Amino acid sequence: MSRDLAAFGVLAAVLALIPALRPSAYVMALLNIVGLYAIVTIGLVLLGTSGQVSLGQAAFYGIGAYTSALLARDLGWSPWLAMPCAVALVAVVAYAVGLPALRLADVFFVLATLGVGVIVNVLMVQLDPLTGGASGLRDIPPLAIAGRRLTTDRDYFYVIWTAAVAALAVARNLAAHRTGRALRAILGSEVGAAALGIDVPRYRIRVFVLSAAYAGAAGALYAHYIRFISPAPFALYASLFFLIMAVVGGLTNIWGGLLGAGAVTALDQIVRAEIPRLFPRVGGEYQTAIYGIILVLIMIFFPSGIVRGALDVRRLLRAGTAAAGGARA
Amino acid sequence: MLALLPQLLLTGLTIGSIYALVAVGFVVIYNITGILNFAQGEFPMIGAMLCAALLAAHVPLAPAAAVAVAATCMLGALTERLAIEPAFGSHPLTLVIITFGVSMAFRGVALMVWGADPYALPEFTPGAPLEVLTGVLGRQAMWAIALSVLVVGGLFAFFARTLPGAAARACADNAFASRLVGISPRRMALLAFTIAAGIGAIGGIVIAPITGATYDMGLGLGLKGFVAAVMGGLTNAPAAVAGAYVVGTIESLVTGYLAPGYGSAITFALLLIVLSLQREGLWQTARRRQV
Repeated sequence: MSRDLAAFGVLAAVLALIPALRPSAYVMALLNIVGLYAIVTIGLVLLGTSGQVSLGQAAFYGIGAYTSALLARDLGWSPWLAMPCAVALVAVVAYAVGLPALRLADVFFVLATLGVGVIVNVLMVQLDPLTGGASGLRDIPPLAIAGRRLTTDRDYFYVIWTAAVAALAVARNLAAHRTGRALRAILGSEVGAAALGIDVPRYRIRVFVLSAAYAGAAGALYAHYIRFISPAPFALYASLFFLIMAVVGGLTNIWGGLLGAGAVTALDQIVRAEIPRLFPRVGGEYQTAIYGIILVLIMIFFPSGIVRGALDVRRLLRAGTAAAGGARA
Repeated sequence: MLALLPQLLLTGLTIGSIYALVAVGFVVIYNITGILNFAQGEFPMIGAMLCAALLAAHVPLAPAAAVAVAATCMLGALTERLAIEPAFGSHPLTLVIITFGVSMAFRGVALMVWGADPYALPEFTPGAPLEVLTGVLGRQAMWAIALSVLVVGGLFAFFARTLPGAAARACADNAFASRLVGISPRRMALLAFTIAAGIGAIGGIVIAPITGATYDMGLGLGLKGFVAAVMGGLTNAPAAVAGAYVVGTIESLVTGYLAPGYGSAITFALLLIVLSLQREGLWQTARRRQV
């Protein structure tokens, strides 16, 4: 696993180098968003390691954002205290949801998380006195370190990417050790895993709560970074977006989370810039067409993600035989 | 308060009949292929939008509707061939994600082609509404209820009386055994998607004069239809129809008596309750379906 260590070294070096290149504010903001999405996606990939998929991640992302924002803004808590509390609340909610939902067969679990996502989003819009309704919450206090308020994209670059690297390190260690082996065993066969003495329900609920906590932490950071939140970015569409990132990177590879978040965010920028040129009169979520097609193509041809898929293709070409196509969802 | 009740129940009946058409589409596909097709709600959208586009080109209503339904059937068949068939036999979760992708693709393309503005369809037979107790039932609502009953009835006749229907039932019962007697499960999957798309399109065209047609109407319709299908146990078409009327009625009552914005939240709370109550049954059904 020294390859992982080397990869962390390269990642840290690249991240340390980026501010020195003095990128524009646009690039900096984009990198911050990639960092936040990467945290959510890494959580989703952890969940995927055990063969589960959630379409409720946007709801956990949103609960994290709203809770931290409200605690810091309306109760005057320090964001550094509000954020862990928000994550704790998300974990409690995920536990309450997961306990009944995880007993469902895989497909029905996805639907239960989807249902939770829709309900949470409706509550964000409807609980107007608390959440500010559709117009959202403004003037969320920013983070502060030693009395200095963090307000620039550059400040948050350090905060967000520290969190993202930490999230990646925790996920990598989990995946590489006992828990990861247990989760992969569950992915292989639930009955088989149980026969080996793996407490399947306990591992499944733990990894689900952890993946929700990842989303909640990213949401809390998002709230203090952007300083304005509304229900729109936390709707079902966002959950699908996170799923696409995880699927692009590969649903069972921790590094895939980082890669998927980066690749899809980059693609999103290109699509947003190019499509209006091709179809001048459309507005709104026209890019869904492209993501939908990408999602279908990846699930058909590279169900293990583009990196693994590319490796498989290369190996196939080298071996000159169709025998090694061992990709599985 | 109580005076409102008949009207709300009639409204629930009307939207319930549309959910029924979506829910039956779910059941047809799930029974025959074991796939939960989340693109199901896009078929009503495509049907309604195509019909509206044809009307705008001065095609009379009846041929426009017929062409729209036929075109949607072809799109359903195309969906099966291009998106489902290549992944045949994959993990059920993979197939579900694919149907979500298909749904996004349809929605995005519809937005590119038709824009975000709602389209209106004329009522089939304009005229005074029928008064029932203190509520009114519009002519179009009667069309919706009648057509849903007719279509669901026709579907039963198809599956019970015709040879392709019997083949589809055999495939739903045991895909492996039906292959042994010369029924192709893949061809049956194609049939299932074609039928489900056609039923959906009819629902979309009949509801569009009441609700209007927009590119994003499919998501809500699909999810409500799905909730109805789950309430009915997913494999049982008459129960799914009953589930659709329950969902429509509850949504109408919640919208009328509690708060308009909570409609979909209540529907999904209902889904969660049904899922947790039925989990043993659903689990077994799901296992049994995966042939």
